[in-house]
Amino acid sequence: MLSGIRVLDLTQEPGFLAGKILAELGADVIKIEPPSGDLSGRRGPFLGGVDDPERSLLWHALNSSKRGITLSLEFERGRALLRELIGVADVLLETFAPGTLDAMNLGYADARAKNSGIVWASITPFGQTGPYAMYRAHDLVAVAMGGNPSMTGDPDRPPIRCSMPTAYYHAGPEAVIGVLTALYARGRSQQGDYIDVSMQEAQLSSLITGAAQYAYTERLGTRSGAVLGRTREIWRAKDGYVSFGLRGGAARIPNLIAAVEYMHENDLAPDWLREYDWSKYNHNTLADAEIARFEAVFTTFFATKTMRELYEEALKRRILLAPCNNAAEIVDQPQLRARDFFVTIETELGEDFEIPGFFAKSTARKIGVRRRAPRIGEHNHEVYAELGIDLSELETLQAQEII
Amino acid sequence: MGAFDGIKVLELGAGAAGPVATRYLADQGATVLRVESTKRPDFLRTLTQTKNSDAELDSAPMFVLLNANKLSVSINMSTVEGIELVKRLVLWADVVSENFSPKAMAKWGLDYPRLRELKPDLIMVSSCLFGQTGPQRMYPGFGGQGSALSGFNHLTGWPDREAVGPYATITDSLSPKYVALSLIAALFHRDRTGEGQYIDLSQIEAAVYSLSEMVARQSARGESVTRMGNRSEFAVPHGIYPCRGVDRWIAIAVHTDADWKALVRFMGNPDWVLNVEFETLAGRRRNEDMIEERLRVWTTDYDAHELMQRLQDSGIEAGAVQNFQDLNGDPQLEHREHFQSLDHVHLGTLRFEHSAIRHRSSSAELRRPGPCLGEHNEMVLGEILGLSQTEIQRMIATEVIA
Repeated sequence: MLSGIRVLDLTQEPGFLAGKILAELGADVIKIEPPSGDLSGRRGPFLGGVDDPERSLLWHALNSSKRGITLSLEFERGRALLRELIGVADVLLETFAPGTLDAMNLGYADARAKNSGIVWASITPFGQTGPYAMYRAHDLVAVAMGGNPSMTGDPDRPPIRCSMPTAYYHAGPEAVIGVLTALYARGRSQQGDYIDVSMQEAQLSSLITGAAQYAYTERLGTRSGAVLGRTREIWRAKDGYVSFGLRGGAARIPNLIAAVEYMHENDLAPDWLREYDWSKYNHNTLADAEIARFEAVFTTFFATKTMRELYEEALKRRILLAPCNNAAEIVDQPQLRARDFFVTIETELGEDFEIPGFFAKSTARKIGVRRRAPRIGEHNHEVYAELGIDLSELETLQAQEII
Repeated sequence: MGAFDGIKVLELGAGAAGPVATRYLADQGATVLRVESTKRPDFLRTLTQTKNSDAELDSAPMFVLLNANKLSVSINMSTVEGIELVKRLVLWADVVSENFSPKAMAKWGLDYPRLRELKPDLIMVSSCLFGQTGPQRMYPGFGGQGSALSGFNHLTGWPDREAVGPYATITDSLSPKYVALSLIAALFHRDRTGEGQYIDLSQIEAAVYSLSEMVARQSARGESVTRMGNRSEFAVPHGIYPCRGVDRWIAIAVHTDADWKALVRFMGNPDWVLNVEFETLAGRRRNEDMIEERLRVWTTDYDAHELMQRLQDSGIEAGAVQNFQDLNGDPQLEHREHFQSLDHVHLGTLRFEHSAIRHRSSSAELRRPGPCLGEHNEMVLGEILGLSQTEIQRMIATEVIA
């Protein structure tokens, strides 16, 4: 869908996903690394356990479908090359601390003077200006400041984050929305735009209006472990955990009745539960002792079944229950397999592996992974040739460690 | 001026996953019209704080906040005439967004192949939990199940305890971003080629796509990334420590040896740090329990925000664990004008939220709170569809408009 759109991707890990999404929508995304490679982004664990930046699984997972070149911004000639690239690009993505590129005369103002149609997106922990703009943050600090951990975790322990970087997962697609909005507007105005994305602020979206609702209710919640509101949401199965809510409401009552029926067929539903009048069920007004009574029987029942057994019955009986899948269960998930969700990455290292192939399917154009992530400087020849730099000049630049 | 001034979006669906997506377009000027009915209201409309009056479906804060900038028409889809009205609105629209389970639209005769006959360049997105194809497509889950199936529950919690999952339902915040960007890409594509398209987006796939690194590690190395509290494979210490007051905490992350030196200096070079082992990540890893215990003692008497500021001023990554009250007073969010107040007819003044995106040349605008059910019936039925007052009154009497 974005064929012909050229993107310069100067990001580190927090921005990898944004470039990947644009590449997998069809844009020509050129990943720009320092001459020795982006070693923080090419971190382990490594394919085959061999400590080699070309084998970084993070790199392979989040830089697929991009081309890759090297370029040093430490030399004026390198900076001049970036300006040339900006002259023929549509989009630039970057994750430097605010002001870093401006100080090298490579900021948005410089880019715009060269190319008034450039769409420039910056992803930083807190945004480009404001009292926290220069604060440092990887994922943990950004999510802490964004509010989610204050409500996540067990009540008797500290707040926690998800063990994968959700600050990047929220900010990346948010930046893409900004970029595409600007590209769409450019179709009318012929003018580019600057997009400032804050990782902290993107985290607030994970609260699904929690912060704004607090302003209205002034009721401050806290961590409640696997309990959601008043009732348990995550339960122990024989071999793992499942998600299932005891919440009521018209959309959910039939599933509670179906769950009790399933339990009854296993002789584990007590008489009081089988005779329960669900038309009056309201999890918000149940007494604590009632909730405990419900939870006790469901706890006993779920512990007798595996996650898979429970899920298979849930699918048949339309019970709102799902396994808390780990990575191994996800790559084996029959639904994802049936939709050909995964694609194989061939690395020329003799060890193929899979990554998710797309985030959506479209009738118009194939969306999704087009090629494996680039090796360090893999596309130097072709990209610099497109700028009119010939082979001998390229060799000189290489000798000077500019590329 | 919004980027999507003049773009018209017809929204059928409920909850957060679909409606959050179209907000991005509405905030940039698109006209987003929700088709709803009192006969089967969006369940978010029932999460009301005040169960008192006939305004019950119009006073649920979450609904009102999430659906800002949209219009609402109430059409009863269980009537033939109601479905005909929706088809006429499809002709008006550029985009149809729906997040029902896969059978619903086909049952009404509103699936993409049929709508495309009406309007060849239509852009349509369906975004149910599991996608439109495959053996589990009819699975009727909510976001809680999405968070479980996509791996986020497993990834959140303490290693010695049960999974707890991140607060709220993360598929409901991740997948709408992918719906929105797919829709905007489709609009861009239509501008360039004249072609419409159908987008089939699974909330779970969008979430697992985010976790591409986890999938690669599993597939390449058989290594199942799992929950580890606040610890990180790449940084030590990396945790959340208690501060002064009730339930107050600070996050501190030491990603480099230089950062560790800065932290040690900041703490005044205490005796317990005088161990060369601590100078490398591997050495700190071997002593992680002890380092964390010492940090817990050290942070206890500080105010979280004050310590954050002092640590950051010394170049150390730290952040207060902000609760919802803190977010409402956060000077950085205030600087970015994250919140904006609007008056709602039943709820009074509410603080609405902007996304994390700031465009320099066009600003997202909050124009109105989420609509009351059927609030724009007159305008939609009269001005857009050109129905006469007599027809409208008849449709109300026959519960086509309901």
